[in-house]
Amino acid sequence: MSSVAASNISAATAPKVRRRVRWSSLLHRVFVCMMYFFMLSPLIFVVWMSFFVDAIPHFPPSGYTLKWYESAWQNSSFMNGLVLSFQVAAVASITGVILGVAAALGIVRNGFLGSKFVNTLLLSPLLIPGIVAGIAIYLFYMRAENVLDTDIVGTFGGLVIAHVCLTIPWTVRLVSTGMAGLDPSIEEAARNLGASSWAAFRRVTLPMLRPSIVAASLFSFIVSFENLELSLALVGPGKTTLPIAIMQYLEFNLDPTIAAVSAVQILLLGIVMLVTDRFVKLSQVV
Amino acid sequence: MMGYSFNHFDPMDLMVETFTLENYVKFFSDEYYRKVFISTLGVAALCTVFALVLGFPVAYFLAKTQSRYKSLFIVLLVFPLMVGNVVRAAGWMVILGNVGVVNATLMWLGITDEPIKFMYTPFAVIVGTTAVVMPYMILTLQSVLEGIDFSVEEAAQNLGATFATTFRRVVLPIAAPGVAAGTMLVFILCMNAYATPVLLGGTGLTMMAPSLYDQIAKASNWPFGAAMALVLIVTTLLLATLSNWLIHRNYVKTMGA
Amino acid sequence: MSKVSINKLKKQFGDAVALEDFSLEIADGELVAFLGPSGCGKTTTLRMIAGFIEPTAGSIHIGETDVTNLPVHKRNTGMVFQRYALFPHMTVAQNVSFGLEMHNVSGKERDSRIATALDMVRMTSFRDRYPRQLSGGQQQRVAIARALAIQPKVFLLDEPLSNLDAKLRVEVREEIRSLQQNLGLTTVFVTHDQEEALAISDRMAIMYNGRVQQIGSPKELYDSPSNHFVADFLGRMSFFKGNLVANGRFVSEAGTNIQVASGQKVGRIGIRPERINVGAHPESDNVFDGWVESAAYLGSLIDIRLRLQGGDILNLHVPNNASSANTAIAPGSPLVASFRSSDCVLFAE
Repeated sequence: MSSVAASNISAATAPKVRRRVRWSSLLHRVFVCMMYFFMLSPLIFVVWMSFFVDAIPHFPPSGYTLKWYESAWQNSSFMNGLVLSFQVAAVASITGVILGVAAALGIVRNGFLGSKFVNTLLLSPLLIPGIVAGIAIYLFYMRAENVLDTDIVGTFGGLVIAHVCLTIPWTVRLVSTGMAGLDPSIEEAARNLGASSWAAFRRVTLPMLRPSIVAASLFSFIVSFENLELSLALVGPGKTTLPIAIMQYLEFNLDPTIAAVSAVQILLLGIVMLVTDRFVKLSQVV
Repeated sequence: MMGYSFNHFDPMDLMVETFTLENYVKFFSDEYYRKVFISTLGVAALCTVFALVLGFPVAYFLAKTQSRYKSLFIVLLVFPLMVGNVVRAAGWMVILGNVGVVNATLMWLGITDEPIKFMYTPFAVIVGTTAVVMPYMILTLQSVLEGIDFSVEEAAQNLGATFATTFRRVVLPIAAPGVAAGTMLVFILCMNAYATPVLLGGTGLTMMAPSLYDQIAKASNWPFGAAMALVLIVTTLLLATLSNWLIHRNYVKTMGA
Repeated sequence: MSKVSINKLKKQFGDAVALEDFSLEIADGELVAFLGPSGCGKTTTLRMIAGFIEPTAGSIHIGETDVTNLPVHKRNTGMVFQRYALFPHMTVAQNVSFGLEMHNVSGKERDSRIATALDMVRMTSFRDRYPRQLSGGQQQRVAIARALAIQPKVFLLDEPLSNLDAKLRVEVREEIRSLQQNLGLTTVFVTHDQEEALAISDRMAIMYNGRVQQIGSPKELYDSPSNHFVADFLGRMSFFKGNLVANGRFVSEAGTNIQVASGQKVGRIGIRPERINVGAHPESDNVFDGWVESAAYLGSLIDIRLRLQGGDILNLHVPNNASSANTAIAPGSPLVASFRSSDCVLFAE
């Protein structure tokens, strides 16, 4: 937008025009950097604050320390939240990937389910507010409890099942994109060389899909780990995930401890994301 | 899954043993809830416009750049999306708080003596939400802009169009489907926002998602919460579809002139 | 229309030199083709004339105006792009209208100029179609009409035929040539297809590695190539490396004796396949015995590789006519070939 304004002023003499064009492209770059700063600044400052010495933070700090990481470590609600989030994310991503790969295979192989259906499926978690979806699942569990006569709401299993629903669309998208990029003649070649359809799938197709599947697992892990809204209605008393613990703490306090906890989450998910990027370019995912 | 669970939503309405519209009547006649509804719409619309206007130049840059750091730029876009809204809201609290970065800077520069109250205002919610949704907008726009044959822009300039005219008459109309998709996606995300308005808006600004959650979780008014949920979903879908349709129609029309 | 003067143009991308020491005067109404393999700098030069690339050094004049530093939209050059670059969201008429609007042509005059331009390329009946509803050839015609409607000072074509199939390519090529001649357009035509360049141009510039190898009429370039690259790139030629042992007598490294026209410094000679006769032709002062090594039947002619006694290879074309049909041309069979000394092209190296 910035370059629009600048090149509009077309000067009378030719050499000047050239300089204006370069100017506008410089302006454009500066603007892009500013926008990146705008998007990344919350993360930058929260990490910065986690090192402040002062318990009541102010800028600039009077010194730096790592003690808040220690105090975060000793805070049981954060520790338990971290452990629970990790467990839920791990189980949900593995389960979700197994189901998601199967679903992707079904969708891609049986072409009758067109891309339109897949797109709707993938958009569905975005269309329904996470809060509403969480409540809806809660209600569903309540009814199921009555029928099955077991506890679901507030249990680990109940939370995992909800998160599996959250991760499947991403897996389907990643794996079906990966499958679409495969040359079908490679599997045909395997069949031609005498492989049964199962052997061809297991020995040829599956290994080729490995990057997509690994990326889907890691991505599912992230999506599940950072989820707040779905979990909010489903966690049991005293058992909260890390984002919920952070949320509840933030409603009353903002101090370096919470900054340290946030920094831990940023670091953890950042690492998982970078590993994911090794397998599948993130630009194709979101 | 969603549709299925919604089947179980209706019985909750019937739990009061009647089929009634009183919840909807209450929602639209009560001053407080009308305000919640309208401020949600307003915040969502503003954030969508900001994300579009500010995000477009970034998307354009990403689509055109030949820098070898391009994949890094993309990763930096996806990164804030991945760390979760709660942590990002915490970051905005650090920046906008009374003793936050912005106020500290302003006071250091001597622009103001008293800290300006940013937190728990609509301003904070709009800033926070715009930052949250902007990467989605940029990624959507970028994928569309990348598909545009660059020589079309060159052709326009060759025919005598300035950069501004080329942008307005050629790039924007061709990118219209991407703009529509990005706008729709971002608008929905804004309407459904939960963590950002709760943490940054507090009592200063209440939006639909936090409000309906409070109805159900705190006030235990299930039927009313369900009615709010339905209002939210239906409004979002209607407006998103409408804006989508408008952008498409508008560009087909102007190009017809 | 205007003449174009390019003076000592140079372009460097980082350390890589894309074009060096390019000077050329294009006369008013002349069609010059830039021909060369990919990466030779021909498209870079064209894009510098249009203003998409800024030269590192040198200048470009269109008419009397120095346009070297003028932005693209003020140069008034009409360019046809390789992949047409039609505006997908505009109809055929709107595409043509766009440039006129940019030049503030309005009302009746605009309408009549759109109509003229579309009529010129026989696309009038398609004026309300969108580009996606047109075939490749039709899209290219619209692109031509769009570029010409603004009455440009120079007409620039960047490999305009490379996306068309063979038959259509000849058809559109002839159309471009007749439009160019009827309207007297000063034209630069970039191509990597030598047949296209030979057929369409008044003059052509053969480029290689960022340097012009030779500029001249198609006939000059084909008949008297100034160096080995031009001779080899344009058409076919059999080459013999060797030395002049006496005035008019050349001996190849393999020992073949060839009578040539007199020359100064000669390190290599060449002969076009179609200048070689089968049998000892009375006017030919070079006559050789050889064996057919391979023969490819190409329909209108037969392409023969003939191995001479010393091991040199002579490439010749035998027309597929009544007399040659009786000649036995199977691999291994003996064959006598002859050519005139005046048909040999001499190269310094």
